[in-house]
Amino acid sequence: MLAIAARRLVSMLLIMFVISVLLFLFFEGDKLNLAARVLGPYSPMTGRLAWLEHNGYNRPLITRYLAWIYGFMRGDWNQSAQFDAPVFDFLLPRLKNTAILGACVFVLTVAISLVLGVFSGIAEASKRDRAITVISVLTTSVPEFASATFLVAIFVYWLDWLPGSSSFNNGFSWREMILPVATLVIYNFGYYTRMTRASMAEVMNSQYIRTAVLKGLPYHQVIIRHALRNALIAPFTVMILQLNYLLSGVVVTEVFFAYDGYGKALYDAAMFGDVYLILAGAMIAVVVAVVSQFISDVGYTQLNPRIRFS
Amino acid sequence: MARLKKFIAAVGLLRESPVGMIGVGLVLFWVVIALIVGVLPLRDPLAQSGGDLLKPALTLAKDGGHYWLGTDDRGRDILSRLFFGSRLVLFWSSLATVIAYSVGMLMGVTAGYRGGWWDEAISFIGNVFLAFPQMVLFIVILSQLGSDSPAGHWLAKMGFSATWVKGTTIVLAVMFATAPQVARIVRGLVLDLKTRDYVAAAEVRGEGALYIMLVELLPNARGPLIVDACLRLGYVTIAIAALGFLGLGLPPPDPDWGKMIADVRGFGALAANAMIWPALAISSLVLGLNLMADGLREIALRD
Amino acid sequence: MSDTEHKLIGTLKQQLAEKTIGRRDFLRFATLLGLGAPAAYEFANRIDGGIAPAAYADDLPKGGIIRIAQRVPKLDNPHTFSWIYDSNCVRQVCGYLTRTGADNITRPDLASSWEVSDDLKTWTFHMNPKATWHKGGAFTAEHAAWNIKHCLDPAVGSSVIGLMKGYMLKDVDTGKLDDKGAKVMTTELWDANAIEVKDPSTLVLHLQEPQVAVPEHFFHYPFLMLDPAENGVFAMGSNGTGSFEMTVLEVGRKCEFKRIADRPGQVDELHFVDLGDNPSAVAAALASKQVDGIFQGNIEQYDIYKGMAHTDIHSIVTAQTAVARMRSDSKPFDNPAVRKAVRLATDCEKTLQIAHKGVGSAAEHHHVAPVHPDYFKLPPMPRDVEGAKKLLADAGFKDGIDIEINCKPDPSWEQAAVEAMAEQWKEAGIRAKINVLPSNKFWEVWETVPFGFTEWTHRPLGFMVLALAYRTGVPWNESAYSNKEFDDLLTKAEGTVDVKARSEILGKLEKIMQEDGPIAQPLWRSVFAAYDKRVKGFNIHPTLYIFGEDLAIEKA
Repeated sequence: MLAIAARRLVSMLLIMFVISVLLFLFFEGDKLNLAARVLGPYSPMTGRLAWLEHNGYNRPLITRYLAWIYGFMRGDWNQSAQFDAPVFDFLLPRLKNTAILGACVFVLTVAISLVLGVFSGIAEASKRDRAITVISVLTTSVPEFASATFLVAIFVYWLDWLPGSSSFNNGFSWREMILPVATLVIYNFGYYTRMTRASMAEVMNSQYIRTAVLKGLPYHQVIIRHALRNALIAPFTVMILQLNYLLSGVVVTEVFFAYDGYGKALYDAAMFGDVYLILAGAMIAVVVAVVSQFISDVGYTQLNPRIRFS
Repeated sequence: MARLKKFIAAVGLLRESPVGMIGVGLVLFWVVIALIVGVLPLRDPLAQSGGDLLKPALTLAKDGGHYWLGTDDRGRDILSRLFFGSRLVLFWSSLATVIAYSVGMLMGVTAGYRGGWWDEAISFIGNVFLAFPQMVLFIVILSQLGSDSPAGHWLAKMGFSATWVKGTTIVLAVMFATAPQVARIVRGLVLDLKTRDYVAAAEVRGEGALYIMLVELLPNARGPLIVDACLRLGYVTIAIAALGFLGLGLPPPDPDWGKMIADVRGFGALAANAMIWPALAISSLVLGLNLMADGLREIALRD
Repeated sequence: MSDTEHKLIGTLKQQLAEKTIGRRDFLRFATLLGLGAPAAYEFANRIDGGIAPAAYADDLPKGGIIRIAQRVPKLDNPHTFSWIYDSNCVRQVCGYLTRTGADNITRPDLASSWEVSDDLKTWTFHMNPKATWHKGGAFTAEHAAWNIKHCLDPAVGSSVIGLMKGYMLKDVDTGKLDDKGAKVMTTELWDANAIEVKDPSTLVLHLQEPQVAVPEHFFHYPFLMLDPAENGVFAMGSNGTGSFEMTVLEVGRKCEFKRIADRPGQVDELHFVDLGDNPSAVAAALASKQVDGIFQGNIEQYDIYKGMAHTDIHSIVTAQTAVARMRSDSKPFDNPAVRKAVRLATDCEKTLQIAHKGVGSAAEHHHVAPVHPDYFKLPPMPRDVEGAKKLLADAGFKDGIDIEINCKPDPSWEQAAVEAMAEQWKEAGIRAKINVLPSNKFWEVWETVPFGFTEWTHRPLGFMVLALAYRTGVPWNESAYSNKEFDDLLTKAEGTVDVKARSEILGKLEKIMQEDGPIAQPLWRSVFAAYDKRVKGFNIHPTLYIFGEDLAIEKA
C-alpha cells in the first residue's frame, strides 16, 4: 500500500515538473508583447527593450525557469504586470473566495447528485429514473452563461430579490453567493447524477445484490447495507477527480457575476497576457489536479475491498 | 454486407428498448434535418433584417412569411440558423469525437496490452494532459494554432477556409481533453481482455502485436465503448458550445449552436427567446444520445 | 410657462424628437421664438442627453458617496494612459490646462486664458492664479512646462506625441540600427526654446507649424498636470490640483476618492468599482443598486437600462466610430476603385440599426462627424450595389473579390457591424471572410493587416482624426494612405482659425475621402451611461470623462 502511494507521489511530482516546464515554454515567447502592454501601446521600442532587460526577461531561458520555479516554491510568484502587485498577494484572497464558492458548489452538487443518482439507479428504467435522466441532461447541456442569464432575469430584474453582481465590495455577503452557486450547481449536478446512477445501476444488477434480494432480506436493508457502500465508491472518487474541472469551470461564472475570485483573475490575466499571473494560476490548477488525482487513486484503493485485499 | 446486417441487427435490438428508440428518434431528427436542410423552405440563415431584431417566436416578417422561432440580434431567422447549424454541430462534434476516440483507443490499447514501460509512458502523458488546466490549454491552443498563428497561416495558405482552420482548433482542443479519459477506460478493459484464451491463441499463432490489438482486443471491447461514445459525443457537443463562448468556436457568421447563444448573451433577459432555442437544440441532441446509450446498456444487460 | 409657449415650439420639439432637425437648429430657433435658453437646453438634453447649463451648486444635495462601475487598472504612469477609464481615476486628483465641454467648445481650466499670434505659431497661456496644489503652493507655468516636456519625452511613451509631433517635435536618428537593419528613429523638441516659461504664470509655446487645436490637445486624456516632484508617477497620496485625494487603490477591484474639505464639489466620496469585462454584470449591479452609475453602457444593454425604473440614461451623439480601413499598399486595396466599391456596397443606415440598435447616426465614409463645428455637409453618398459592381468590373475584378477583414469581439457592436457589412458586401461580389481576433491579438496587428475594423475615439475638431490617421507617414496611419493633395489641404485646414472657412476646406477633404480614401465608415456612435435618479449634476461627456466635483447624490 505504502509502495503504491510512494509511486504515485513520485509520478505526481514528475507531472507537476513536466507541466511547469511546458507552461513556461508556452508563455515565454510573448515577452515583447508584454512589455508593450505594461508600458503602453505608444511606448518606443527602446523603452520596451530596456524594460525587458531591467526586469530580467533577457536572461537565458533555463536561468529564468529555475529562478521562477525556485521563487514559486518559496511563495515569491513575481510581480503581476497588470495589477501592479505581487502575484502571491494578489491571488491569495481571490483563491480564498474561489475556495468558498467551490466548497459550496461541491457540497451541494454532491448532495443533490448522490440522492438523485441513487434514486435513479435503484430502479433503472422506471419513470422516476427517466425523469431524473431528462432533468440532469437538460441542465448539464445548457451553458452556464445561458442559465446565469435566465437566473438573473428572474431573480434580479423581475423579482428583485437578489443582487446582480457578486464582487463583495462591501465585504463578504451570502446574498451575493446565491446566484453564482446556483448557476454552478445547476450546470454540474447532472453529470455527477448520471455517474452515480450508472454506478448504482451496476451494483443493483450485480450477483450479490440479486442474491441478497433472493435470500429475502428487506429491500431497504439491502440498499443501505450492501448496495450504497459499493455503489458510492466510484462516483465519489470520480467527483474528487473532477475538483480541478471545477476550478477551470468557475471562470465563466465568476466573470459573469464579477465574482472576485481565481477564475476572474485568470481570465483577466489571459486577456492581458499577464505572464506570471497566468503561470501562477495555471500551476495552482495543476497542483489541485494532481493532488486530487492522488487522493482519488489512493482513496479508491482504500475503499474498494476487491482491490484492497488482492 | 455482413457489417450492414450487423448494424441493422443492432438497431433492431434497440427497438426492444422504448427509451432507446426515443433517443434514436431525437438524434435521427437532427441527422435528417442536417441532410435535407438545403431543400427545406427556409429563410436565408445569414440574411440580416434591420427592422426585425430580437423578435419573439411566431413573428410576422416585414417582408412576408413568419419567423417561426423569432430572430436574433441581427434580425436573422433563428429556425433556419438552428437547422443549418445542425450540419456544423453534427459534423464537428462527430469528427472531434471520432478523432479523440481513435487517439484515446490507440493509447489505451497499447498501454493495456504492451504493459511495462509503454503503460507507464502513456499513462504518464495522459495524466499530464488530464492535470493540465483546461482554460490554459485552450488559450495555448488558440495562440499556437489559431487563425492568426503561424500554423493557422500555413493552413490558410494551403487553401483551408477559416471554418476549417477554426474547426481544426476545436478538434485538437477536444482531443487533448478527451483522449486521455478514453485511454483510461480502454486500458482498463484491455487489461481484463488480454487474459482471455483467444488472445493467447493469437499469440501462439504468431500474430503481431498490432494485429492482436486491432483485431482481437478492440472489437471485443466495443460494447462498453459504444455506450461511452454516445455519452461522450453529447459532452463534446456541449464542450464545443463552451468553446464558442470563449471565442474559440467556428468563425462568424456560421450558425454554430453554442455561438448562437454566446452571440446574444450581452442582451441578457431581452434575448431569452434567442437563447432558449439553441439551448434546447443542444439539450435535445445530447438527451437523444444519452437515452440511446441507456437503451443500449439495458439491452446489453438483458443478454 | 407651457401654455404661453410659442405654438411653433411644440412643432420644433416634435421635429427634434423625430430627428428631422438637429439640436443646434432646435436651440437656435427655439430661443429665437422666446423659449429661455435653459429651458431649450433642458428639453434638448432630454432628447439627446447633451450638456445642461451648469446647475446651481446650492441646489444640489451635499455629502454622500457615489459608486460608479468602471474598470480600475493600474494608475502609476498617467502620461502613458491609453484608456479613458484610467484617466477618470486620476482626473479626480489632477487637472488639465483646458477643458473641452460636451458641446465641443474648449474653456479655461488650470490655464485661465490664452492668446495666439496671427500666424498660429506662438501660443501664450496664462495660468489660473487660483489653482493650488493639495500640498500647498500655486500651480505655475513651470509645472505646466515640466508636464508638457515629460509627455513629449520619447522615453516616456505618451500618446501626446502623436498629437503634437507635427508642430512640436522633429525626428532624430539615434545612429542605431534595429535587427532588420532599419534606422532606429526618435524625436526631440524641434527647438530648444519651444516651451518657454516667460514668468511663473505665463507659458509660451513656439510651434514649427501653425496649429489651431493646441487648447484641445491639452485636454487629451493622458495630459494630466502632475506634480513635477513626483516625476510622472501617480500613487496613493499623490499631489494634485483637483477636488479629491485618493484614499484606496486596489487594482482590478476598487479605487476610492475623498473630497478635500475646502475644495469644490458636493459628495464626500467617489468610488470606482471594478466589475470586470462582462457588461451584464455591470447592468445587473446597477439594477440591484450595488452601484449608483456606470462609466459606459454597452449598446446591447440599452433596452435593459431603459427598462430600469430607478435610473436615467444619459446619451450623447459623438464622433466615436470604427472604420473598415483598407491598407492602400496591399492588393487589392491599392486600387482606389476597389476601396470606393467597398464604400458603395455598404448600407450605413442598416448597419447602424443592426449593430448599434439605431443609437447614433449613419456616417458618410469620410470620418468627419456632424457634431464637429467644422463639419461640411456633402450630398449624401447612398448605397449603390450596381455602381460598386461596375467599379470592380472596370478595375479588372469581374467575378468580384475575396478578402478577409480582421476585427475584435469587444465591444460587441464592432463584430456585429463587420458581420452586417460583410453580408451587404456579398451582393456586390465582395466576399469577405471575417477573422475575429481576441482584443490583445488584434492590437498587435491593427496597423499591419490589409483590411481591419479599427475603433477611433471622439475628438473635438473635424480635422484632428484626419491628421492622426490619414496624413502621409504619421505613426497611426494604419491604412498607409498617402495623398499629396489631401496632405496639403489638411495643413491648410490646421492653419485656419475661422470655422466657416475651415469647414469649406474640410468639405474638399471629405470629398477626397469618399472618392479615393482608404476607409468605409458605417456609423457614428452615441455613447451612453446610466445613473440612478438620485445622482445629480451628471452631464455625459462625448469622451466619457467623469468629473467628480460636478456630481451630487440625494439621500436614499
